[in-house]
Amino acid sequence: MNAPLPAHSFAQLPPISEIWVYLSGSPLLALVLTLSAYLLGLTLYERSQRNPLANPVLIAVLVVTLSITLLDMPYAKYFEGAQFVHFLLGTATVSLAIPIYKGFASLKGRMLVLLLSLVAGGVTSVFTAVGMARWLGVDESLVRGLVAKSVTAPIAMGIAERVQASPTLTAIFAVSTGILGAVLGRYVLDVLRITSWWQRGFALGVAAHGIGTSRAFSVNAEAGAYASLGMGLHGIVGAVVIPYATAVWF
Amino acid sequence: MIQGLVQLFIFQALGELLSKFALSFIPGPVLGLVLLLVFLSLHGKVPEHIDLVGSSILQHLGLLFIPASVGVVLYLPLLQANAWAISAALVVSVVATVAVTAGLLKALSKKHGTP
Repeated sequence: MNAPLPAHSFAQLPPISEIWVYLSGSPLLALVLTLSAYLLGLTLYERSQRNPLANPVLIAVLVVTLSITLLDMPYAKYFEGAQFVHFLLGTATVSLAIPIYKGFASLKGRMLVLLLSLVAGGVTSVFTAVGMARWLGVDESLVRGLVAKSVTAPIAMGIAERVQASPTLTAIFAVSTGILGAVLGRYVLDVLRITSWWQRGFALGVAAHGIGTSRAFSVNAEAGAYASLGMGLHGIVGAVVIPYATAVWF
Repeated sequence: MIQGLVQLFIFQALGELLSKFALSFIPGPVLGLVLLLVFLSLHGKVPEHIDLVGSSILQHLGLLFIPASVGVVLYLPLLQANAWAISAALVVSVVATVAVTAGLLKALSKKHGTP
């Protein structure tokens, strides 16, 4: 008894190309793509027992990049939709005050020591990265992207705009630095025989910002709190100092 | 939840205004951060709704820099040509930064007698 389907159910459906044009014209496609790629990244990250190499942002960027290339969607078009996610970076930066404030509570008069180490670490980060890159003959347009790479990405991108560096390159280098720091940090700390959790955490937060901080939290709560503090203070100090230092040096 | 979001937006907006009209060398959101930090210190604790919204945003901080990072498609040829040198610079820099920060912390806290 297969009654033929009424003809209009197909006839009224617009051709697939028209559906596509409609979808890609709205911000929904880029938003869905961004959010689902991130969810996929998070799932794989959890499955790998939070291995820093399976970084959810890295996975999501690979998936989205591949998708828009296959869909032949220009980056500008993608960003038009994804900018609603991008906008919240500023709000996230403001929210960093919360972990910094909570970190203050556990300071126990270590502020001066922490600030001195932070400044030394921040200077080391910029000089070694830019110095090495120049020494190895890296293209000058890429070198500028390295200046803010140890600062947490939302602030780093704000700094990038002020030093005429590409926010995109800065974000990529910041994420890579975070991953490298989360993977390599513990070996460096072991070699130097750093045993206090607060010292280990703070160093990870200064060098590898958010990704190092989440790594520190997964090892020890005190290390995590100090890592947040290191990340936040590096963000504030970096935002003030790095544009000046760059203007003098470049 | 909305209450917390509105308050965070207000601090962000104040930061943007301050950056625009007074301290243009510091990004607006960073000034918003400092203003919120001052507010929290005066208030003596983190208000529950700000904590709720702020902490959830920070928990998924990574999501927020995906749109900008995807811009890497525009730089692929340049990055490929410099891949090894850039990787070497990043590795050396992060190792040196961890070493200097932690080394100095250890040395200074020994001197000051804080364990």
